Amino acid sequence: MKTVEKVVNPVRRRGEQSPSRIYDEKLKVRARREWRGVKDTLYDYTRWLYQVYVIGKFILLPRNVKGFFRYRWMMSYLFVMHGMDKFTIGLRDEALRITHTAMNFVIADVTQAIANCFRGDRRVGNDKAYSDKCVITDENSMVTFMMGFDTQKVHTILREVPTMFASNIFHQFNVMHYLDIAQQYGIPGDVCPMPEAEAGISIEDDFCVLGSCAVQNNTTCDGSLMGNGIIAKRLEREYGIPTFQLATPLRHKEPDVMEYAAEEIRKAIAFVEEHTGEKWDWDVYFRAAKRVNDATRCRIAQMEINSTPYPQFFGAVFSLYNDTNYMGNSGRNADFVAIDHKLLELAEKGYREKRMYAKEYRHRCIVWGVQPQYVIDMLYWMVQCWGVVPLADMLSIINTDMIAEEDTPENREQAYRDMAMLNMEMIMRNHTHGGYKVLLDDLWDLCEKMNADIVMMWEHMSCKALTGMHGMFEEQARERGIHIMWVSHDLCDPRVFTRQAIRDQVNSYMRTVMREEPLDPALEIIPDNEAY
Amino acid sequence: MKKISALALKILLGIVLGALGFFVVTFIIYFFNLDMKATSMLAPFLEKWFDKMDRKQYL
Amino acid sequence: MRDLKYLQYFEDLLQQANNELVEQAKKDGKVCVAYTCENVPEPLLNLDRAVSIRLTAPNTGSLDIATYYMTNLLCEPSRALLERAVEGGFNFADCVITPDGCTMMNRAVENMELLHTMGKDNPNFFHAYMEIAFKNTENDVNLAVLQCKNHILDPLREKYGIDTSDEAIRKAVAEHNELCALIRELGEFRKEEKPRITGYEFHVLCLATYVCPKYLVKDKLKETIEEVRNREPDDKAWRARVLLVGSEVDDSGLIKLIEEQGAFVCCDRFCFGSYPGRTPIVLHEGEDALTQVCRHYIRNCQCPRMMSMDKVYGRKKYVADLAHEYHADGVVYEQVKFCDPWAYERMLGSSMLQLDYGFPVLSVDRPYNVSSSVGQMRTRVQAFVESIEIKKIQKGEKA
Repeated sequence: MKTVEKVVNPVRRRGEQSPSRIYDEKLKVRARREWRGVKDTLYDYTRWLYQVYVIGKFILLPRNVKGFFRYRWMMSYLFVMHGMDKFTIGLRDEALRITHTAMNFVIADVTQAIANCFRGDRRVGNDKAYSDKCVITDENSMVTFMMGFDTQKVHTILREVPTMFASNIFHQFNVMHYLDIAQQYGIPGDVCPMPEAEAGISIEDDFCVLGSCAVQNNTTCDGSLMGNGIIAKRLEREYGIPTFQLATPLRHKEPDVMEYAAEEIRKAIAFVEEHTGEKWDWDVYFRAAKRVNDATRCRIAQMEINSTPYPQFFGAVFSLYNDTNYMGNSGRNADFVAIDHKLLELAEKGYREKRMYAKEYRHRCIVWGVQPQYVIDMLYWMVQCWGVVPLADMLSIINTDMIAEEDTPENREQAYRDMAMLNMEMIMRNHTHGGYKVLLDDLWDLCEKMNADIVMMWEHMSCKALTGMHGMFEEQARERGIHIMWVSHDLCDPRVFTRQAIRDQVNSYMRTVMREEPLDPALEIIPDNEAY
Repeated sequence: MKKISALALKILLGIVLGALGFFVVTFIIYFFNLDMKATSMLAPFLEKWFDKMDRKQYL
Repeated sequence: MRDLKYLQYFEDLLQQANNELVEQAKKDGKVCVAYTCENVPEPLLNLDRAVSIRLTAPNTGSLDIATYYMTNLLCEPSRALLERAVEGGFNFADCVITPDGCTMMNRAVENMELLHTMGKDNPNFFHAYMEIAFKNTENDVNLAVLQCKNHILDPLREKYGIDTSDEAIRKAVAEHNELCALIRELGEFRKEEKPRITGYEFHVLCLATYVCPKYLVKDKLKETIEEVRNREPDDKAWRARVLLVGSEVDDSGLIKLIEEQGAFVCCDRFCFGSYPGRTPIVLHEGEDALTQVCRHYIRNCQCPRMMSMDKVYGRKKYVADLAHEYHADGVVYEQVKFCDPWAYERMLGSSMLQLDYGFPVLSVDRPYNVSSSVGQMRTRVQAFVESIEIKKIQKGEKA
């Protein structure tokens, strides 16, 4: 079997040595915050203050308070700071700054998304003029088809992001209610809980109702595609919001699907123009395209750093930031550029100074599959507890090609293909769909490139595209001498696998197969199953 | 002049004390996670509120 | 009613994928084109010397090997096919053409490819994967045309020298239509108040047209139609008439079980049933046959995977129209366990058929091989039949 050289942190961690003491089984939140030494604790404190400010500003608006008491999922946002605490366990120095820089921006973005939803929501803000310029899209939507619309004139509302996706990160139990509703109405419990929960939210009438139109797509899976029909029915028939289904080919590596995909993008743009009354602007598009390329270059650079013995930006925060930037932003918001560069500067500094997340890196790991929403701190736990460093995760292995960014007649045609390519290569589906090569071969190539000796396979039990290749992963890993560690979960339903049940799968593998003792034994069992 | 200096000093002292007070209070809240502990006490009441709310459940 | 002369014969053909007619076709020098999804235009798999054989795994028992490769979380049909492929049950196939339709079936075929389950002694053997349409537009027709060219016609021509000309397509469509007409004619008998054919018998005959070379079943089908035409129906009245909608039914035992409870399966709207699978394709001269075939498949497609809302609503209307046409008292929505598309379609369909169209609906999930869950299914159907009878009594009709 492949082995990698152990890397030992030459610097003793400042502050307390183990983050295990911040957990208390009697509480649903942490007992206290981590002591990270004076400098890093103060930094963490100032970031906490910033989040208090962001949330305080949000709450000061009366319509947001009204929205808070209307929507059950808003309860999750009581626990934003608790959510942040999940991302920062054991972190110091650049790692802490990278995490805060990225997540503070993501949280501000989600907060703005909620505020936008409430502003246009017929039940809350009911700002009709605003709502008429809003386009609702799915949570798993690449918004490339909005890249040429001025963000001041047309507003893209990823309605499901704050409602379901982000809310589950902050509050592990909050989605269960919607899953129960969906199952009560007849959806079986074996489908992916994410579209199932979204269908449940629609049935429960717990989505904000706004927008001149909605664009749905089939980017993730059969379940997501099918759930859209349920949501669109209510949007169209009850609320009179027309929906467009943006069909995105699955076999995205085949050149013979490109024209179809590009035509679908053209149609989606025409649909938005028709319903918002705003026109597509090529200047706006190519400015956004430049930003997409810039973000791509930054991401490639981050991955380069991660291929060294001193990876800097990884784990759930890396993938959540990419989710937000690559998928939810797609170059439309200029603010991301500065953040991208700041993150890269921090990572480069961390690399130069050989900063490490834990006292030892024993294994270099590629994380494949889909991470569970409610154990979002898992990868940070893994590096702290076992010294297994997650160099890259499947959700962050996305497009690395540059798209056309100069406004020429040829490039305007190319732009439709670029948008289609990005849309087809959405996060996750660029590996889970498109044939087995993008799922299997890409993984082994990545292991080679990143010099990884272990693959942590998230086995999201309802993700048929992944579990359908279970045996092949096993066999091909064996052939290549790569350890493969299966970790089952059910994405956002903690009743199926609790947090500790998920961690125990790693504990068992490391002890029985790898025959190792944990770096921090106090972290092997954490009493947070009942915590939000 | 002295009066002005004294006033300025008082204001400065006030600001410093205020800032210090702000820091001490908020840092205690931060470090002992009192913010999240308070909200976690609030959550069960909110859940009841949402459970009681009439919904137009419909497919 | 007297047993149909060829019922046992057709039942036997359904007992294994590599049945005697498949063997006969191989002896006749045919190219066996295996496929797994109704969305693949069937006439294109029956050009020239090619014959289409839909892969099934009758009498499925243990799924141990397939479960290792695909876990127990994938639908049983996909695992059953993989298991059968590993066992060597599909070795007759000269190629496998599958669309990236539902993920699970696609993964099943990909596993077959990676495990080299077929084509070991055939250098021309190939696997082809197709993108299939999502909506009912001309863009989708264009996609389908390109996909059929690249993943069906070109490889068949290049590997096996199959004639894929417009003329050959028109000939294959004519033969396809002849078969469709036979099945539709048989199906018409189900509309009668005292039907001369049972839902079970119809299913056996219809399924045989998918899993056997068509040219070898036509004569016996024609003979059977004559037999049914002259058949004396039973005097017994069915307690209810139901329309069966959902995932593929490869196990005719399911229909037998429903009918044993007194519910006549008067119409079928499931994958590889007669609706829409046996709808004749109308061709005209002004356009190439390939485009017209593709358009037919897209216009008539009732697959839950079609995502545009005209299709979403249209599927329910299609079921309601069939229910009216075949005088159904109720609708049974069934779904093979772990099938994502039908899980959602069953939910929305059963709700809309009930609320928007006023039909009593039974919504059930089931295993691929119904014999593993007879008791549960029987109880559900019995209760449904009784509820229909009660509704009839309440309406003042004779139960």
